[in-house]
Amino acid sequence: MAALRVLVAKVGLDGHDRGVKVVARLLRDAGIEVIYTGLFQTPETVAAAAVDEDVDVIGLSMLSGAHMTLAPLVVQAVRARGADIPVVLGGIVPNQDVEELRAAGIAAVLGPGAPADEVVRTISTAARGEHRHQGV
Amino acid sequence: MFVAQAETAGVPRARLGGTLQNDILKEYQAQKEFVFPPRQSMRLVRDTVAFTANEMPRWHSISISGYHIREAGSTAAEELAFTLGNGFAYVELARQAGLPVDSFAPRLSFFFNAHIDFFEEIAKYRAARRIWARWMKERYGATNERSMQLRFHTQTAGVSLTAQQPEVNLIRTAIEALAGVLGGTQSLHTNSMDEALALPTEKAARLALRTQQVIAYETNVAHVADPLGGSHFVEALTDEMERRAEEIFARIDEMGRGSMLEGCITGIEENWFQGRIADSAYELERAFNRGERTIVGVNRFLEGNEEDNLDILKITNEDERKQRERLSGVKRERNEPAVLDALDRLAKDAVDPEVNLMPALIDASLAYATVGEMMNTMAGVFGRHVEVPTI
Repeated sequence: MAALRVLVAKVGLDGHDRGVKVVARLLRDAGIEVIYTGLFQTPETVAAAAVDEDVDVIGLSMLSGAHMTLAPLVVQAVRARGADIPVVLGGIVPNQDVEELRAAGIAAVLGPGAPADEVVRTISTAARGEHRHQGV
Repeated sequence: MFVAQAETAGVPRARLGGTLQNDILKEYQAQKEFVFPPRQSMRLVRDTVAFTANEMPRWHSISISGYHIREAGSTAAEELAFTLGNGFAYVELARQAGLPVDSFAPRLSFFFNAHIDFFEEIAKYRAARRIWARWMKERYGATNERSMQLRFHTQTAGVSLTAQQPEVNLIRTAIEALAGVLGGTQSLHTNSMDEALALPTEKAARLALRTQQVIAYETNVAHVADPLGGSHFVEALTDEMERRAEEIFARIDEMGRGSMLEGCITGIEENWFQGRIADSAYELERAFNRGERTIVGVNRFLEGNEEDNLDILKITNEDERKQRERLSGVKRERNEPAVLDALDRLAKDAVDPEVNLMPALIDASLAYATVGEMMNTMAGVFGRHVEVPTI
């Protein structure tokens, strides 16, 4: 089986890049191919990069508090390109927000303190499409 | 904008006291809130230091900040060395602009993190004071004692706090705050227990304040300076911190071929600082994942994690709408030709690197130009910085 490809992405005015880099390295160490968008992207640039790079999963890192606005826009931008790439969200996301995010099409949410094996497992599960359409 | 506001209210700028963070080097290294490329941004820092040294004697022009470097993942020794290294870079920048060291150095201040490794943090603060005094005197020729004194603000470590069992964060924050106080901090910010979840609720913010008040008014620990001086362990740790910081200074100095200023800028341009911070963050993460380091409620002692149900603050789009309305109101009422003139002058001044931009910025503020308009005007001249993404 070919290695999974994951795009890790930062959208909006959110300079917190410790988490995204740690996650990128631990996915890479688990044998996953990782592409990092860099900071200050828009939902459209993330969706375009994900489609161009033909990735299996988008890992979105958000610590700005804007996840309820921006994360669903990433899902919509991906779908607008006719793609069905699962979006996994990580960062400062309170439990109270998870249900609404799932309803908006986010495949899974990884909260603060998620251990490495859970991150890898969640990404792999999302890639197999097993989160898809749950909670919708 | 402070100057414009004060003078509009009849308070002369020379009487203003306050602190700007204004530490752009750590933005490229860690916090990532940059707009212009590094050298253009450093010109703005130079302009604020020169302007305040001449016209605002009570104003602190830069708060040289390690907080964000540590939060981004550095070790304690890297926080210490990168921060002081940036401080030396600003000193060299101001000297290059022709300012005598004792004319501005007494108004430089610092901002450090207080992480959870108690004695290591205290040693870090003690080492910072020793190093700053020595370098200011020996390398930069300061003669005023105030130029050699390192004064600092401390904030407890947001990154050490957990979303799991968030009330435990009160205890972490209290311990971190105590390290800051025993280490001699001049001012203190304690984080709220809901830091890993959202912006603080009123109650969480009040508890954070109460933590400081218990330390300040009940424990008596602030009645004595450097209470751990002379402790065999703390002195040895302080020496070790100093030694590790000097190793890093040597590397920065080498990158800058004898200039800390050039070393810091080169290190940023070559992603050296950013890479070291990311390496340290990953190493620590792996230590947690292997169970070599413990975080209560995250990799050990998980009982109770299921009960988490703290009330958290919700920010709504209503707040954004109100702010937009206020901004439109200001724009409707201001004298538009005066704004355009002021922005024009700002653009002209920006083109000549010898000109100090502060007068043009103050005039633009007096005309009610917005921060966005001033930044866009300068970006038209300076360009915008784009970080090369590296993992």
